[in-house]
Amino acid sequence: MRSQIYAWNGQSGTAASSWTNTNTGTAVSIFIGGFGNNITKPAETTATQFVVIEDVAVSPSGFLNSGNAAATAYRGLVAGAENGVFGNRAYIQVRINTTDYFLDPDNVGNDGIPGAASPYPRSTNFQPCFNLYPDVYVLPGQVFDALVTTYQNGAFDGAGTAPALESSTLYAFMKYTLYDGPDALIANKLLEMGISINPGNVDWYKRTLIQSQTAAPMPTA
Amino acid sequence: MRSQVYEWSNLATATATSTLRRTVDAIPQLVPVNREYDIFIGGIGNNITKPAETTATQFIVIEDIACSAYMGGAVQVRINTTDYFQNPDVTDQSGVPGLASPYPRGSSDIGGAAIAVAQVDTVQLLKSFDLYPDVYVLPGQVFQILYSCQTALAGAAAGNTIVVSAFVKYTLYDGPDALIANKLLELGVTINPNNVDWYKRTLIEQQQRSRVAATATNGGSA
Repeated sequence: MRSQIYAWNGQSGTAASSWTNTNTGTAVSIFIGGFGNNITKPAETTATQFVVIEDVAVSPSGFLNSGNAAATAYRGLVAGAENGVFGNRAYIQVRINTTDYFLDPDNVGNDGIPGAASPYPRSTNFQPCFNLYPDVYVLPGQVFDALVTTYQNGAFDGAGTAPALESSTLYAFMKYTLYDGPDALIANKLLEMGISINPGNVDWYKRTLIQSQTAAPMPTA
Repeated sequence: MRSQVYEWSNLATATATSTLRRTVDAIPQLVPVNREYDIFIGGIGNNITKPAETTATQFIVIEDIACSAYMGGAVQVRINTTDYFQNPDVTDQSGVPGLASPYPRGSSDIGGAAIAVAQVDTVQLLKSFDLYPDVYVLPGQVFQILYSCQTALAGAAAGNTIVVSAFVKYTLYDGPDALIANKLLELGVTINPNNVDWYKRTLIEQQQRSRVAATATNGGSA
């Protein structure tokens, strides 16, 4: 089992593949969405892998009052419009196969976790008030994705170009643990048993297996 | 069981005070003072299609509520028609102040200041309130998160409006998890993911024991 992270920067890469205002209001995959740094194929688990997503985060937002001129900065975040919102007003949703994880109370899929609740990067100005617990399990053979949606235009201090303020870059972050081989089998077993899948419980299961083998009577010669 | 959040802001379009879901470059809407607005269907900001309620096979545990720390903002939880937070004399109150549970965490307590003042502001508020024990929404109940402010949301300059927001974090238990949550409630055990898993394990162990006992009764054959 291995602790893994995936950090996404919407402005990395060429100008053509950098996040721009035209993407505002559209959910884009941080893995294969075509913007920022991407990977070669959709994120998925093989038959011998089990993934536990433990944290997701996205660039924070700040709220003030309308009328402040566009491109004004507050705590490192840029005001795109004069509507009192600073930063990208970004959200991150987890999708397993075709199902969105985060729903509104009317059972309709929403935009996901707000960057204001789970900011990346974290700072004293922008602290988390959301903890992804219980974790999200990606079972063997499932495809998983993290989708970023923004609702604020022009928060990059120059659309499509490198921003002057580092913190107005659109970032996203996912922390997960990859269980592979025998650890994935144990993870499946723990899931059947209704036990939370985490490195501590996987190790516990291994110890109980070893203890039961040790306790078994030795074969006679 | 799934961890869920709902974020509300007084942001809508130029032609409507509320919208279903969120809109790009939304504009802040005025919230009348000293009135409670349901963040789900209150008619201001981003709303959803119907009142928040649990079905017969759902159980909700509200674990955190927060709102903007400025303009005297506060959030109240209402289950069916009963307010959760009350004064010691059992009279109504506006709920948890944003100063005690600020959203976003680390934000300032000044929201209406001129940008020049805000830019040099160094206040980063932390929470002094923790919603524990959690609030349970039983199957079939309607719940509301009510936001209220004591000061008009007028900004530093004429015509400006202050952006306020509220946040709720809850865990949704559905299907068999909701049944277990009800059982835990009957047993007086706190409902959280760990205890739901614990109850599942005890059920599995019971089944295994009874299977072993049945096998022994049948003389070793299953």
